[in-house]
Amino acid sequence: MFLKILNYLYGYVTITLPEEYLEKFVNMATIRGIYLWGIANAFGNRVALNVRLRDVQPLRHIARMTHCRFHIITRSGLPFFFSRLRHRRALLGGALFFVIVLYVLSSFIWVIDITGNKLISEDKIVEVIRQAGLYRGVPKWSVDTAELEKSIMRQVNGLAWVGVIVDGTRLEIKVVEKVLPPDNGAQLMDIVAQKEGLIKQILVLSGHPLVQEGDTVTAGQVLISAAIPPLRIEEEDNNSADNVEEDEQQLPVQYVCARGIVRARVWYDGYDEVKLQEQIKRSTGQEITKLCMKIGSKEIILMGPRQVPYAHYAKHTDVKRLPTWRNINVPVEFITVKYIEQRVYINKLSLAEARRLAGNKTMEKLHSKMPHNAKILNTQLREVKAASDEGIVRVRVTVETLEEIGVEKPHQSDGGGYDIIDRKDGNLINGNQNNT
Amino acid sequence: MAWKDLKNKVKRQLSDYLELPGDIMLDLPKIVLVGNLQVFIENHRGIQEYNPCLVRVVVSDKVIEVTGENLTLRNIMPDEICVEGQISSLAFLS
Repeated sequence: MFLKILNYLYGYVTITLPEEYLEKFVNMATIRGIYLWGIANAFGNRVALNVRLRDVQPLRHIARMTHCRFHIITRSGLPFFFSRLRHRRALLGGALFFVIVLYVLSSFIWVIDITGNKLISEDKIVEVIRQAGLYRGVPKWSVDTAELEKSIMRQVNGLAWVGVIVDGTRLEIKVVEKVLPPDNGAQLMDIVAQKEGLIKQILVLSGHPLVQEGDTVTAGQVLISAAIPPLRIEEEDNNSADNVEEDEQQLPVQYVCARGIVRARVWYDGYDEVKLQEQIKRSTGQEITKLCMKIGSKEIILMGPRQVPYAHYAKHTDVKRLPTWRNINVPVEFITVKYIEQRVYINKLSLAEARRLAGNKTMEKLHSKMPHNAKILNTQLREVKAASDEGIVRVRVTVETLEEIGVEKPHQSDGGGYDIIDRKDGNLINGNQNNT
Repeated sequence: MAWKDLKNKVKRQLSDYLELPGDIMLDLPKIVLVGNLQVFIENHRGIQEYNPCLVRVVVSDKVIEVTGENLTLRNIMPDEICVEGQISSLAFLS
């Protein structure tokens, strides 16, 4: 291999000479240390052999001594390639032109990527870098990454870090935005029920409570309002609705960010059924793989069985195909099918077992609905009896929990006030806020 | 001739005793056959005859005759010859 490369670099010629002179010729050349190779019969009674370019001159001397003539039939190698290239100026020029164009074009920035921005719009950063004199097609040497980083940091607010990286013809601007703590003061928050329940405890830290302990609430109902009505309304209890409304218009309502803890009893309901007799499939560990090649609509099995030797089995199919490029879709697919043998068992359950199993399944489902800190107060498991015995055990589970149901929601301006009026009148309209 | 035989005998005994390879001590050819495809002959003295079904290579005091089909000399260097082709026999002619 190494020798072949070396021969190519030095250049070599294939010569032919009459068979009868070969022995003498070869021996003389070998004695002089000339390397010959590939001696084989050529046409007629001539023999072809390869020799390096620099050994051709000594060979002429040997030929004169042995009184034979040799002919060069092919010339190969790098030196000949270059001499051939010298006659093709246009090709050489084209290659040179290509290299120059590639070099010149690679010294501009063609792609500008901005990554890492979530809240700050890309246009804003693009505008800033445009002002700094950076746009698509700008030469690479004119980009001062450190200066650019500084100017982006100065002109775009809310950035914690900016990195400008020139990677080939691509300029990447990585930004990291500042993460500010949530500003509660600016926005008014209500405490709203996230699910329906019966209020067990209500602890108001700030805001105006709209419900009392023992009230039933629905999901989305405001529990603690951000709007604190003026004290006078509280004093004037059992007034008519119109009167209060008039007062409210006159007196300023105080707004705070509602905070508080609302615990409520929440009921969850779940249902599940379990068959007393069930077919279960289990894999036996035996498996067999079939490898197919699909050309067009024809399938050729390369490996594996023609027919599946199992009575019951699961099938996993994996199709590999060449990536599509443009509109060209190579219609060749490799399909690997794995057949996993399975055996069918019949699983019989007693009534008690089935009930327990159904109960567990239902509880699992309900647990996924509950928050983690919910305290289970009471669990009720009832069997639902069907009219006819179908071999199915049906179970209904009711779970009562004590949990926090309040969540913060932005305050809606006129929601709170009306609720107060409704409550004062004695009829609580649930979910009034949802309508606004 | 007797003197040369004696000298060779002593040399061979010496090389046996010292466990030196014969191709160095006795100036013998070293022949490596790769299946029936290639034969490498080291320590040769040149070729005597070449055609596609017969190659004769001179070694110290003998001639090695390689017969076969489509024989080519893959390379010839001052100390090694490689013959390629379908080799059917290899014989020593004195």
